[in-house]
Order: sequence, then C-alpha cells, then structure tokens
Amino acid sequence: MSPEVTKSTLKRIKELISRYPKKQAAILPVIHLIQSEKGFISDEEEKLVAELLGIRPVKVREVVTFYSMLSQKPLGKYHIQVCSNLTCSIMGAEKLIDYLSEKLGIKPGETTDDGRFTLTTVECLGACEQAPNMMVNTDYYGHLDKEKIDKILKELDE
Amino acid sequence: MNKVPEKVLTKNFDVDHLFKIDVYMKKGGYKTLNKVLKKLKPDDVLKEVKAAHLRGRGGAGFPAGVKWGFVPKDVDKPKYLCVNADEGEPGTFKDRYIMSHNPHMLLEGIIITGYCVGIHTAFIYIRGEYENIAQRLEKAVSEAEDKGFLGKNILKTGFDLNVFVHRGAGAYICGEETALLESLEGKRGNPRLKPPFPAAIGLFQSPTVINNVETLSNIPHIMEKGADWFVKQGLPEDGGTRIFGVSGQVKKPGIYELPVGTSLKELIYTHAGGMESGKKLKAVIPGGMSSPILKPDEIDIPMDCESLMKADSMLGSGAVIVIDEDVPIIDVLRKITQFYSHESCGQCTPCRIGNSWIHKIVNRIYKGKGKKGDLDNIEKLANNMLGRTLCPLGDAAAMPILGIVKKFRKELESEIKG
Amino acid sequence: MIEIFINDRPIQVEEGTTVLKAAEKAGIHIPHICYHEAFPPEGSCRMCLVEIEGHLCLELACATQVKEGMKIYTDTKDVIEARKGVLEFLLAEHPMDCPICDKAGQCKLQDYYEEYGLFESSFQEEKERKDKKVDIGKGLILDRERCILCTRCVRFLRDITKTNDLGVFQRGVHSEIGVYDGQVIDNNYAGNLVELCPVGAITDKDFRFKTRNWFLEKGASVCPLCSRGCQIFIEYHPGFARFEVPKRVYRITSRVTSRDEKAKERGYWICDIGRYGYSYMDKDRTEIMTHRTEDLSGDKEKALKHIDEQIKQLIYRKKIQRMGVILNTWLTNEELFLAKKVFTQDLKLKKVFFPEPAQGEEDDLLLTADRTPNKKGAEEIGFQFDQVSEEELFEDTELLIVFWSSPFDLGTITELIPEIKKVKTKILFTPFKRKWNDDFELVIPTAISAEKAGSFTNCDGRVQHFGPVLSPPGEALALWEWLISMGKEIDVDFKSYVKMRSSFDVFKTMKDEIKFFRTKRD
Repeated sequence: MSPEVTKSTLKRIKELISRYPKKQAAILPVIHLIQSEKGFISDEEEKLVAELLGIRPVKVREVVTFYSMLSQKPLGKYHIQVCSNLTCSIMGAEKLIDYLSEKLGIKPGETTDDGRFTLTTVECLGACEQAPNMMVNTDYYGHLDKEKIDKILKELDE
Repeated sequence: MNKVPEKVLTKNFDVDHLFKIDVYMKKGGYKTLNKVLKKLKPDDVLKEVKAAHLRGRGGAGFPAGVKWGFVPKDVDKPKYLCVNADEGEPGTFKDRYIMSHNPHMLLEGIIITGYCVGIHTAFIYIRGEYENIAQRLEKAVSEAEDKGFLGKNILKTGFDLNVFVHRGAGAYICGEETALLESLEGKRGNPRLKPPFPAAIGLFQSPTVINNVETLSNIPHIMEKGADWFVKQGLPEDGGTRIFGVSGQVKKPGIYELPVGTSLKELIYTHAGGMESGKKLKAVIPGGMSSPILKPDEIDIPMDCESLMKADSMLGSGAVIVIDEDVPIIDVLRKITQFYSHESCGQCTPCRIGNSWIHKIVNRIYKGKGKKGDLDNIEKLANNMLGRTLCPLGDAAAMPILGIVKKFRKELESEIKG
Repeated sequence: MIEIFINDRPIQVEEGTTVLKAAEKAGIHIPHICYHEAFPPEGSCRMCLVEIEGHLCLELACATQVKEGMKIYTDTKDVIEARKGVLEFLLAEHPMDCPICDKAGQCKLQDYYEEYGLFESSFQEEKERKDKKVDIGKGLILDRERCILCTRCVRFLRDITKTNDLGVFQRGVHSEIGVYDGQVIDNNYAGNLVELCPVGAITDKDFRFKTRNWFLEKGASVCPLCSRGCQIFIEYHPGFARFEVPKRVYRITSRVTSRDEKAKERGYWICDIGRYGYSYMDKDRTEIMTHRTEDLSGDKEKALKHIDEQIKQLIYRKKIQRMGVILNTWLTNEELFLAKKVFTQDLKLKKVFFPEPAQGEEDDLLLTADRTPNKKGAEEIGFQFDQVSEEELFEDTELLIVFWSSPFDLGTITELIPEIKKVKTKILFTPFKRKWNDDFELVIPTAISAEKAGSFTNCDGRVQHFGPVLSPPGEALALWEWLISMGKEIDVDFKSYVKMRSSFDVFKTMKDEIKFFRTKRD
C-alpha cells in the first residue's frame, strides 16, 4: 500500500466503496479522490485501487486511460483546460489557446517547467452561453478574452 | 402560441439561495411529494406521467411514462434509477442551471419517480467537470435526508430511497444510457447491446430507469398541477415546456424556458436578441451538435420532436447554436469531426475508424490539401456509419456530417479548389 | 421448432437460435469476426449485419434470435454494402504486413476481402502508428497495428481462464490491447490466443517466421500428452522437392471446428503442454533394428525369429514363467489388447508389469494429472496395475521384453533400469533413442501415435480413433504390426491373428470380446 495515502483518505475511500452493491462501482469516486490529492494516478495508486476493489490492476488502468479527466502523468498545480469545441471556437477560442500557449511558454498537452500550469484543450464544458470558456482545475471561467485571461492568471499567482 | 408562456422549471431561478432546502420549501417545495406519498398510489403517478406526454429531455425524446411502464413489476432484484446528468452534448448547458439553481426540484422529481416505479436506490451520474455542482447536489441530498425526505421511511410512509451522487470523468459516450451503466459499474464506458433493455436488465443486471435531469425535474410539476395542464403548456403529443439553450453569435446567449413547439425563429430573434453585431445568419444547429444543421430558410420551424424529425433534423437536447456568415463551414465541420473522433469509445468498427478517417480528411481539407473526391468519400464513409454502429453515437456523428456536406457542398468544394 | 426464411428458403430451427447459427445450419456462412461460439455475442465488429424484413436497420446475426416467420436476407445490396463498409474501415487502419505476417493464408481479413471485398482502397491519410512487438507473456507477441479490437483475446482470458490478463487501454481509434506492467500472461492456455486472433495481431515465437500456412498439411490426431485426449491437428511440412526442411511438425492446433457438434461439447481449446510439446516427434528417434551381435539389416523376419527362439527355449525348458513383459499406458487400445492376447492368454505369463504412469500437476480445465493417454483403455481391456510387484517382476527372470513408448523420462522406467540390466536377455521396443537402449540385446524402433492407426480411451471413457498422419522414420513400424507377427510366430493361436490385418480389424475383434468397446463412446 502506498504510504502516501493517508489514513483519513483510506477511511473516505472505504465509505465510498460502501455506497455500492459491487466494489468495482466505486472506482471513479475513489480515483477522483486520489487524483485530487496526489494530482495524478501513478502505478502505485493503480495497484492500491486494484487491491481495495478486489480487481486486477489491468482493470484499473483500463478505466484510467479511458476517461479524459484522469491522468497518469503529474499535472501542474493549475490545470488550464480550454474548450475547443464548436461554440467556443466560433467565439474565438483558438486565438485564446494560442495566446495562453505563448504566455505560458508551453503547447497544449504540456506542463510548465516549474510545475505550476498544465495547458490542455478539452471538448464541450457545458457552458456555451458564456463562450469562450476554460476550466482551471474545476472552476469555470467564461466570456474570456485576453484581458480576462491575464487577470485570471494573475489571481492564480496570488 | 397565443398564450403567455408560463415558466415552470425556471420559475424561481431568480430567488436567492433557492438551492437551500429552507428557501425551496418556503416556495412550496416538497409539498407535492407529501401529497403523492400520502394520498396517491404508484400506479396513479404512472398514469398521470403517461397522460402528460412527457418526452425525454436528454436527446432521444422517448416518452418517460412509457419507459417506466417497461420495468417488470414482480422481480426478485432491486430496481435502480440513474439520473443522467452527464450533459455532454455540445451546445447543451440547461441541466447545469437546474442543478445549480434548484437541485431540490430535481430531488423531489427523483423521489416521486422512485415511489412510482418501486426504486429504493438512485444514482445521479453527473459529468466530472461539474464538480462544484456535484458538491451542491451532495449538500442538497444531505439536507433532504435531515428533513426526512430521503433515506428510510420517508415522511413516515414506509417508503425508502437513497440518492448517491456519482461523478463521471470526462467521456461524452457516458451520456448514452448503457454506457452510463457500464461506467457506473466501474468499467470503461462501452455501450451495451440492446436488447436486453435497461428496464429489464440494467445496472448490476437489475431493472433500471434512466432519465435526464430536466425530464425528472418536470415530475413534481406534473403531479402538482396535473397531466392536462402539462399538455396544455406544450403540444398534444409532446407536453410541457422546454429549457432551450441558445449559444453562438446571438446577442443574448442563455437559457430560455418556452413551450414545446415554439418557433426556432422566434427563439433566436425574439428571445435571444437576434444576431450579434448585425451579421447575417449562415446556419443553425437546432438540438445540440448531433442534430443536422439548418439553413436560414429552414428556421421557421416549431421546436418539437416530430417537426424537426420531419425536417431531417432533431430536437435532441434543445441546444441551439447560431452561426453567422463569417464562420467558414469547414471550421464547423472540423469541430464536429474532431469531437466525435475524440469521444468515440472505440468498441465498434464503423464509429472507431469512420470518425477518425473522416476527421483526417476534413483536417486535410482545412489545411488546404483537399483533393477531388474527398467530399464524395466523406459521404460514403458517413453512410457506412449510419445505422451500422453499436450505439447511437455513430448516427450522432454521421447525420450532422452528411447534413453539412449536402447543404454546404458548394462552399466546401471551393475550399478544396481554392 | 419454428419456421423461418433465409433468402426466401424455409428453414426449421429451434426457438432461441441466433440468425447466425440458423444460417449455418442451412449451409449459409454469414461472415463474422468478433463472434466466437465460446462467448456471448459481443457485437463490435459489425461484420455479420443482415437484413430482416420489418426491421428499419440491419441487424446483427450473431446476437439476434429468430422468431416464428422471420424473413432474413444475407445477400441484398444493403447487406453487401455493409460488409464492404466494415472491411474498408478495418483495412484502412490495418498495416500492409501480409508479406511478413504469420497469419497470411489463414487471416479473416484476407479471406473476407477476397470473398466480399475486392475494392480499391480510398484511404489516403496517415495510418495510426502503434507498437508492433509487445511481449505479453508465454512467447506471445502482440502487434497493435494489426489488432482490429475484436477483443476475443480479452474475453478468452476473462471467461475461460478467468485470469483477466489483458485489457483495452485508451479510447477511440487509439484503443489498444495490453497487459499490466510486469503482469504478463502466465497460464497453460495462452497458446489458444494465437488461434483465436482472427488476424496476425497475436503470434507466437514458436511459429514466428518459420514457414507459411499454405505449405503445411493438416492431419487429424489425438494428443497423447495427458489422459484428456484433446483432438488436435498435427500441421506438418511434407517437404520440398529440391531441399530439406529443418523439421516435419511445425504446429499443433485444436481440431474443434464449428461444424463438429459433438466435439464442441468438449470445448474449443487445447492446453500449451499439448500445443508446444511436439518436439519429441522429431527428436532422438530410433530408426533401425539393432542387435548387440548380429546384423539384422532391417530383416523383420530375422528379428522375429530371434525373439521367438528366446521364448521357445523357455517353453521347452518348462520355464516360461521366467519371462516378463513391461507394458505402458502410451500404447493404443489395439496394442494393449494384442499384448494381453499374446502374453497373458497365449503364453499365460504372470509377470506383465505396468510402471507407475507419469504424473504431473493437473489444472481445472483440460490437463489431467495422469500424463499418459490410455490408462483407462488398459483398465477396460482388463489389465490390473498392481497384479505384479517390482520384486515379482525381476525374481528369476531370464527374458524381459520392454515396451517403452513415452518420450518423457517420467515414471519409474528410469528407476527400473538397474534391475533390468541384471536380466540375461532383454528386448526393447521403443520409438526413442535413450542412453539405456544400449543395455538391451535387441532394440526395435516403433511408431509414435502420430504415425500409426489406433485408438485411445480418455479419462472420461471416450474412445477416440486416429489414423497415421506422419510416416514412421526408417524401419519403425506400429507396435500392433509387431504384436500380430509375434502372435503368429509363437503359434499358440495362429488362426485368430490371421484375420487381423489392420488396427481396425483388431478393434473389431475387441468389440466382440469386450462389452466396453461395443458401446459408442466418441
């Protein structure tokens, strides 16, 4: 068992597992919990989840690699996910992605060297009335333009 | 529509802290639940919902009452309700509003539904990105439990129901009902073969009802004011109001609750303020990305399931995307193929390879390397996906692609030549 | 039984049959890739779509059950287009590996393209690039570019071995099959994945690049490496006219096909021990009769006379009980029956001995602990394994005939060698060159089960017949031929041997004399 998973996390995990008639059904809530604390799902966590749910690690990896929000690689402190779907694109998302790319010095899919920002493009976030949108971790920011992005990044820095 | 549209679902959205149970109850919340549990039998609820002609609000438009009727009565297995809060259809954001502004309305609908079908465990499968809203829902569940509206022996009537909030993790396909079940069971979101249908064999091999957030949110209103009233809000075979979402290049993007059958033109120009910056309209997507595109001369159309189907499109999730004359249609096509190739689960051959292949061709055209025969090839490939896939995602991709290639052929051809 | 119509032909089928099986019954093959009878329908390849009257869309033949009066069409324009469509999709992202792919000649994509495709490729994009040589365990190599994600391999390990070693990672067109790091496949049935895979995505190192499918002949036989007696094909190279091939047998495969209803009841698989354990067929074989002093020059008559002389001497001295025989449970039913006739009945020998049959670990699928193919046969023919002890066997024994047919040095034969050495005259009938062969005066080469006709009785009491697939090397003959000749030479009951001219004649006689073999047990 990974020593990095605290006792209280383990307690929460056991509580989550108890909600479902079959242990395996708890896999997404458990992985979300672990990723929110550790930032990503490494081999160690895959094996831990497998052990807790009574399944083979290969079944955990099947899930981790299927869902877009789950990451096997460390993410930056701030995961900036810009919507690149239809409405946001019509409303100028592509230019904003380029702007962020330039400002942070990384391409979509990469993390800054200091580990603070990861930039990715995602599909529809379900906030099209505020297009263009981005999600920082799980906070939504809409009606974006260059100025707003500057402001948000500044606020994150503080 | 010669009546003043009545706001049903969004009626109290402007009330501060409506998401708190005390505020909700002050506005009359949970009174209907009380009446239903204490004075009505489950079959009475089913009859009413059937008579209301409430069609599913998630995209497929299947009548809710009929779906509930498919659940076998005497089965030695627990029954489940899955609330589809995955809201992944591009252009759609209405359920986000319902769950963040009025989560208790949804819960009340869930509990009444559970009572009707004999369900004692419900899962709200909410898309992973809506984490803050999931927390709000969890809080609402907790409040409802404290007040005795959830848990054991609800309102001392002997009816038990537990609601659990379950977050997804970023997969559009999990909005498809059987993929949702697979995901809830802890596996990859691969849709299942139908038959068997979830009403008979669903979650954990047990009878399961799956309904959209907006669909269930209508239930308390139907039980409060009756099926006849509900039908009168909309059309005879398609009752009630719908929360339309308008986005894109309009002056006032947002949600608009209007009767089923409201004209698309009225929705865009009267309610959403018309075109932004005075540009001309080029195209409208009427019901989320999966619905085939409409040209400006086709928007004089009532927004109901039947009318849009007759126009070779779809009401879907009622998510309207407005596109103006400055948007190259190749951009629209590229975003569509990008989305479906990214979201395909990969299980069945036509969708897995067809979507990716079409996207590769469209990308090539976008980058200026289009060739003669590309458009014919795209049509052939999309037709090889249509009706041939394991789940509706194949159709959801093929239909809009075919729609655009047919209706905007000239513009696409010029993209290839020039 | 209900009546349905396939291509307007009325067909009677059981209720609940799928369209695919019903069509098969009517002799119509509906192409399919992901479907395998051992697993519930998967429905992901979409190759088996057919038209059903009254249905809006094409339906899956593998998953749709027939109903009374259903009208099914398997060759309409829509169905043909649908098949071409699926093929085109699969081939679009499939690498052009045929020239170097082991599966060529047996590949479903090739076969179906030839039958239902024959179109020009319209794919002009970049194909997806993936790993082409992934080690997934037990000598299996996975080529992810060739994989068409039918998931037969994943489902086999989920439903049959229940080890869940393989998973599907990523999503969409990037989906790929794989194991978890360091947790490769490690069970006794991994070899079946090579047969299961419809294309060359899973191949094994044993066969990789060794030969081409179309050079191999297939002979039906029964696996002799345990008492389950799985039905196998021995795939061998008949040789080229102008140069030698390095070996005869290249592969063992399972013989259960979808057309063999009875065989299907026993399962579709063979274990890795049977699949990969064929090297004994071509290694260290005895080929010529060798006598310690005389030169027999392949003269069977001479050898027979020599054996007969030794036996007749003991008979003349009224000391026939100083002769012993060691048999084994690798012999066929017919050979054991003849051995009983010659030694127990004609010569009335008491010292007829069976060493402990080779044992190994059993598993809960096919492999038995008894690693000999015919113990049950020996029992039914009337041999009792404990009738003679080791001490009794060697007490005052002057003449010993040993029949040793197992390629493995398992069982107690190696422990008996010191005692065997002490016997004055010893004769050995064996297919294999071993170091103890030199201890015997006369060594006679015999054929292995792949090289002769005969039958084994498996652990469940099934009598399975097989014919010769390969030719015995050099002067080797099937043992039943020797025993019949011996019976005639010893001349106690010459007449009854005369009518036995083939292994099957022997079996006919067995049926007359032993009730067990009269009942149809295959």
